[in-house]
Amino acid sequence: MVSLTNLRRAVKNALAFTSSQPDVSEVEVFASAGRNLTVRLNYTSHIPSNGVEEPKSTEGYGLGIRATFNTTNGVKTGFGSEPADLSLNGVARALEKARAGAVTDPKFVSLPKLDSPQRPTRDTTSLANYDPALMKIGNQGLVKTGWSMMERGLEAFESSKDLLSLAGYPEKISELGLILGGDVVMLQDRMAIGSTHIPSIQTDQNTVVMSFATAMIETQSSKGSGWSVSSQLADFSGESAGEAARNAIASINGERIPTGEYNVILGPQAVTEILEWVLMPGLSMDMIFAGASPFIGKLGRMVASDNFNLYDNGSEPGMPSSKAITDEALPTGRTNLIQNGKLSGFLSDYYNYQRILNDPTGSEKLGADPRSVLESIAPRNGFRPNNGGGRNFAGIPRPVPTNLIIEGNRANNQEELLQLVGNGVYIGRIWYTYPVNGTASGDFSGTIIGDSYLIKDGKFAAPLKPNTIRMNDNVLRLINNILGITSKHRATVRWSSDQVTWAPQIAVSGYGLEEISGYMENA
Amino acid sequence: MPTQFSRVTVESLDRFRANLQSLVAEKTKSLPSLRYCDLRIQVREQKSAVAENGSDKASSEDCTFDFGVRAIAGERSSASGYYGRVLGTTDLDQLEDVIWDSIKQAHNRARANARHKSRARNRFPILGGSLNSSGLAEVPVCQDTVHANYTSDPRQVPLSEISRMAADGCKSIQSQGNNIVYSAASASTFLLRELYLSSDGADIDQTFAQTEGFAITICSSEHGNFELYDFTGHQKGWEILTEGYDNGPIVLPNFMDFCEALGSDAIEVAAAPPLKPPDKEVTVVTDPHFNTLLVHEVVGHPSELDRALKYETGYAGRSWFLKNMQDNQLGKQIASPLVTAYSDPTIEGYGSFSYDHEGTPARRAYILRNGVLEEFLNNRQTAAIMGSEPNGSARSTEAQLVPLIRMTNTIFAPGNQDPQSIISEVEDGYFIAGHRTPSIAESRENFRITAVKVYEIKNGQLGRLYRDGGMTSDSRDYFMSIDAVGSDLRVNPIPNCGKGQPMQAKRMSNGGPTMRGTARLTGPGSLSGNQRI
Repeated sequence: MVSLTNLRRAVKNALAFTSSQPDVSEVEVFASAGRNLTVRLNYTSHIPSNGVEEPKSTEGYGLGIRATFNTTNGVKTGFGSEPADLSLNGVARALEKARAGAVTDPKFVSLPKLDSPQRPTRDTTSLANYDPALMKIGNQGLVKTGWSMMERGLEAFESSKDLLSLAGYPEKISELGLILGGDVVMLQDRMAIGSTHIPSIQTDQNTVVMSFATAMIETQSSKGSGWSVSSQLADFSGESAGEAARNAIASINGERIPTGEYNVILGPQAVTEILEWVLMPGLSMDMIFAGASPFIGKLGRMVASDNFNLYDNGSEPGMPSSKAITDEALPTGRTNLIQNGKLSGFLSDYYNYQRILNDPTGSEKLGADPRSVLESIAPRNGFRPNNGGGRNFAGIPRPVPTNLIIEGNRANNQEELLQLVGNGVYIGRIWYTYPVNGTASGDFSGTIIGDSYLIKDGKFAAPLKPNTIRMNDNVLRLINNILGITSKHRATVRWSSDQVTWAPQIAVSGYGLEEISGYMENA
Repeated sequence: MPTQFSRVTVESLDRFRANLQSLVAEKTKSLPSLRYCDLRIQVREQKSAVAENGSDKASSEDCTFDFGVRAIAGERSSASGYYGRVLGTTDLDQLEDVIWDSIKQAHNRARANARHKSRARNRFPILGGSLNSSGLAEVPVCQDTVHANYTSDPRQVPLSEISRMAADGCKSIQSQGNNIVYSAASASTFLLRELYLSSDGADIDQTFAQTEGFAITICSSEHGNFELYDFTGHQKGWEILTEGYDNGPIVLPNFMDFCEALGSDAIEVAAAPPLKPPDKEVTVVTDPHFNTLLVHEVVGHPSELDRALKYETGYAGRSWFLKNMQDNQLGKQIASPLVTAYSDPTIEGYGSFSYDHEGTPARRAYILRNGVLEEFLNNRQTAAIMGSEPNGSARSTEAQLVPLIRMTNTIFAPGNQDPQSIISEVEDGYFIAGHRTPSIAESRENFRITAVKVYEIKNGQLGRLYRDGGMTSDSRDYFMSIDAVGSDLRVNPIPNCGKGQPMQAKRMSNGGPTMRGTARLTGPGSLSGNQRI
């Protein structure tokens, strides 16, 4: 992969060249190199399979230029990028694309400046979200990560007394329909950036290894999950597949429940899914402008239980999604989104930060004078995410979460949540949970697909049969009906993203559950 | 100072086609234990623009260039390895070296994978038995060149015209009323050329034109902001947005009319009261736009054989059509005899092609014929496992990504009933028009899909309009309940079907005629009527 030194040099040279062009009034040069290494798993005991299905990778490098141009029709802004060429020829091509595509955007104020409350306060190289071993992993290492997951999963299946008991004989275990799927994803990322307003070239490099495994005993309709995330290869063991297999075995003999409103505990994966697909879109500044947020005009008001806190922190050392700087050369940091139930901020990039400051209806949109709440809207989240995670030189910045953290104020443990729920359901894993009536409404629907249990008299009673319950509820109602939040949370990953949510377990009252798919018992 | 430079165009591939074919078919013979290799390489020349609230937001004229390699190798056991990369102009002078190095990387991964597979078979004597050598079903080895079909060449459209189209689209939306609080529109047009070369000797060169428009609006009302968006587009040139298109099943208005209708619908629906759904099943008549998403989610996806064979257990989900090789729904009646659905890349649509990304010739695959499950959509590997004939459903969004099993143009076949009579026969029911957002159960055995509009039907006439409504049902129950299928087939573009890791958002077409069945309705808030806060 292209070295940081070469990326830094390319940005320096590009900045000098582009700044010297007579029609360029402001310019920002972003160069990156990234590689996504993914190993997909597919093991089935009852159908021929490959075990490790796809050891693969994609990679690219290049530079992207945002510039403002003085034209006879006024100031125009444009973006252009060029892959696989960091020379001045590549710079010239990218600049020409930016010039050709430049438009007059009435909302544009300037390229990013260090003029928000978020100031550089630390040595940004100390985040340590980089692992040389992960950056250098080769083909053998790539394939080995997948098979280490496969081996942990098969070990858990093959050593299970419960499965042996179900099958009767060891050689019959495979007839139970054992499935192990999922993947391990490793991201390698380097970037450099410099601009007219922040001319000192800044660099960053990040690595992350994420795994997600799903195991099933299909004849028993039981399913379990396991996952891991770290920036260090040494932290990866493949154990997430063993966890998934054990969880699948633990959920054999699942039961159905009838339609109704239930007290529930949402596990970390369920919390993450609802948070990221349903709640977070409304906490992004661009959605405020679109009128597609349920939080328009509510800054400073109570929007959730006073026990609910949600913040994004891209600068916390050791957290997997921490970055030294944003993809706009601005310092990362903590943005409080909901604090003690009160709406406290929005994720923003520089464009949207400037847009709200200069919007005559900004106070109406936020619910407060934007200039009096600069901390709440500071541009700490301008990133250019690649498909699957990482940084993409060919994209322009937009508000993107980093490490999302949910916390309660009352430090409950799981036993306390079970007591608070009394009789209800622990929902471990959900699926396809979308805002079904638009993001502004908060309405969502999804199904429960595994890792879930019935709760009776404050204790786990029996597994819930996967794929038998559809959830129908509203996220604003959910965050206002919180019974308790555990102090312990778990780093949880999301499909095709390097965003990490530190999710606790959350107990909620009156959650809408609908029994579905009765015909599948005999299908 | 920069020197004069060349640029990548779709024609750039002319220079390399023969040498790359030789590389894949001949030079790879020197690689130990290589059983199969294929290369996909593509160039896309694209122009696009975005506008917001009537003002320009961005525009771009660019080219993407990338490739992906698959190798199957191994001695005692075989396995796959892949490698993909983004390319640039500078790679033109060294392309064969870059690709040869990448073939070696994929081959190296495949061999390592095969060695681990052999070890796992030995280490897990009970469970390792199902770990098989990777194999591909036979397909004809084709050499062909397929040209794009367009009137107005995407490369010749001035970028300023594309910007103007997007901005004018916004203005068309806004012209519909003062309570439109937000509008955005985008327009794009591109020419895409793909080479497929294999160690078997396949040498396929396909070029596609594609033009797309997107519009979104948010409309305020006493019932809360209402959000509505939709896409238009076709595998044609820029004429799709300037003039529209009508071939019978595909009816695309020009982009201004498209945006105007979107704005008008949003205003009408936003003002309507939220639906309070009855707590029992009702008669539902669904229009072709709603059935576009229904057939996509509940017929197309569960017919993908990678899901059915559990490859997607951790992500896109399985399929209720197949528990295992012995216990499945093939040949069984799972829908009303009135229901036929097929996937056909040989008809016009967003999912049209002559060969898929494994070089398999395109053909129609009947998923449901007269309500009986007949065929899964497959790729060469899953076809080999099932012992079935490949039907050409393996596709990726970019050459650097691994092809997945995908719908093509997947539709409910039309019946012969007048759509108006399907409504007029209903004494008491609901008309569900236009799709919004789906939420589908893991094996596609149950669905909830929200609609743009829900009308009461009373005594055969459309009555009151409601917003925030939709319908939900167990899939088999709904399909068995269908008692009328209209003659009014419409085929619509679906530009953003997400699947895979990393996620690939694929274009395809879906559609259907007006249909009638029974289902439960859904409304706003929670199931039990807990209202929004």
